[in-house]
Amino acid sequence: MIETFYGRNALDTPVAFFAALLMGAAFGFALERAGFGSSRRLAGVFYFKDMSVVKVMFSAMLTAILGLALLTAMGWIPAGNLNLMETVYGAHAVGGLLFGLGFVMSGWCPGTAAVGLASGKWDALVFLVATMLGAIAFNELYEWIKPLYNWGLQSEPQFAFGIPTHLFAFGFALVGVVAFYFSEWIEKQVGGEGPYLQSGFLKAYSVAVVAIAATLFVFPGDSDTSYTVARPVLSDARFSSDTVLSAVASGADHIEPEVLADQLVKGDSDVVLVDIRNELEFKRFHIRGAIHVPLVDVIARLESYRDAREIVLYSNGMTHPAQARDQLAMRGFTNVYMLTDGLQGFLDRCLRPVSLFNEPLAPERVHQIATWRSYFLSDTNRPPDAVGPPDAVGPPDAVGPSSR
Amino acid sequence: MSSNETNRDIGHSPSTTNYWNPYLCGVLIGLVLIASYTVLGTGVGASAGPARLGAQIERWIAPTHTAATEYFAGWGEHPLAYYLVFMLVGTFVGGLVSALLAGRVECGVVERGKAFGAVPRLMFAGGGGLIVGFASRLARGCTSGQALSGGALLLTGSLIFVACLFAGGYASAFLFRRQWND
Repeated sequence: MIETFYGRNALDTPVAFFAALLMGAAFGFALERAGFGSSRRLAGVFYFKDMSVVKVMFSAMLTAILGLALLTAMGWIPAGNLNLMETVYGAHAVGGLLFGLGFVMSGWCPGTAAVGLASGKWDALVFLVATMLGAIAFNELYEWIKPLYNWGLQSEPQFAFGIPTHLFAFGFALVGVVAFYFSEWIEKQVGGEGPYLQSGFLKAYSVAVVAIAATLFVFPGDSDTSYTVARPVLSDARFSSDTVLSAVASGADHIEPEVLADQLVKGDSDVVLVDIRNELEFKRFHIRGAIHVPLVDVIARLESYRDAREIVLYSNGMTHPAQARDQLAMRGFTNVYMLTDGLQGFLDRCLRPVSLFNEPLAPERVHQIATWRSYFLSDTNRPPDAVGPPDAVGPPDAVGPSSR
Repeated sequence: MSSNETNRDIGHSPSTTNYWNPYLCGVLIGLVLIASYTVLGTGVGASAGPARLGAQIERWIAPTHTAATEYFAGWGEHPLAYYLVFMLVGTFVGGLVSALLAGRVECGVVERGKAFGAVPRLMFAGGGGLIVGFASRLARGCTSGQALSGGALLLTGSLIFVACLFAGGYASAFLFRRQWND
């Protein structure tokens, strides 16, 4: 059984940094040995002159796919120990297309450029500086790019296009072998060389790849669960998927705005209200008593509230709180709730002036709203027009005496 | 190619072709990926290095502004204190060791075809770098962090990324072919 740095939430420790440095060194060594310190060789794949990129990438992916599948099938990597990147169909497709354009234009990608720089290539240095500027441009434009960035975001990571993973891996091995022979053949057609085309090495290698892929079928317990990489988030020992799913189904992972408002007005100190929107939005307006924690920091920053009775997450919508809730649940937090309908729901249901409700309200309710408004809409903390529709909260003049 | 330039200046020295078997290099990279997933719990990555350096530099130049930008602000006050930054340093060191052992370090080379100038080649490298830097943020990783690492787990998003990467590359390759003309 292996417990990873990720699984122990220790990726930000000096030991992990050192381990990452060593992994990087091995990675860089292998890239350089493959000839990937040369942009000419890398770009060659797009002109069928030098197909090394295909040979190396398919080999690396197949080795890792088969190795990790077998390790997890044998239960050596318990679920929850692998970082599963989010699946965002649109962003991955557009990002891939753009990346391909940049790759063929420059002849580099970031990892190979680091190796190219080590080999003394100026074009690699220029590429890396430009990569940094490209990231800065992304940050500056993020507000506008956000819809694209989250275009096709799935609520949990998706695997192998929904095909059973052992089947997909086997098919991938077959495609890989075809790609190997095609690469050798086309190199021979274009450049007169296909060094491994007739070699015994490539035959033996191809047979080995397919044979190892085939063992995924006969492995004990071969089924969906043999590929536990597919389900680690929900099968962590500290966190049963059944409890979370039933909580989701029954809505028990939500807290209604009215309930929260009452708790806050009463000064309930055992409720930790967390705003996970961006800093600017938080500064403009937040629910009184909320602390600001960016989504990426929730695990680190909320650790100290593990024993609080309630951690309540809110954002503009429900997607980000759900992500944060999943992350926290995976770390064994059992006290996390999401504010129903987010900030908008809170504004609509608790802070909307009584006169703007379409239906008549009971006297207790009118009194409640007055109390909430006077508590949450103090002079120092009033929502601007930007937050919530104007008819919901209204400009300061329309707020009425109870808000003062 | 002007008269005072040699094959060395454009990366055409004989020593540059003495590489290892690409299939075995691929297996080696696959083993590194497995090691990284079993020790760190994550794959490898490279694009986070320059991106986080960019975030740090922007923070030095305009701290208040950077803290107000949603994307970089999410990386906290010390964006360089991140394992992938160290991994990229390691990648450089590993590449350097290998290149030194193979006699492939040649400082000041601008790799290109004989019939192409150094300046336009550097412009292509820079233009492509801008696009790659942007696209890596959009796709949450590059060839290392998204294609190889996510592909190793058969993540659908990563597989889409690889397919689109090659589609985009092959579709636009003819635009940039002249830089490799000899």
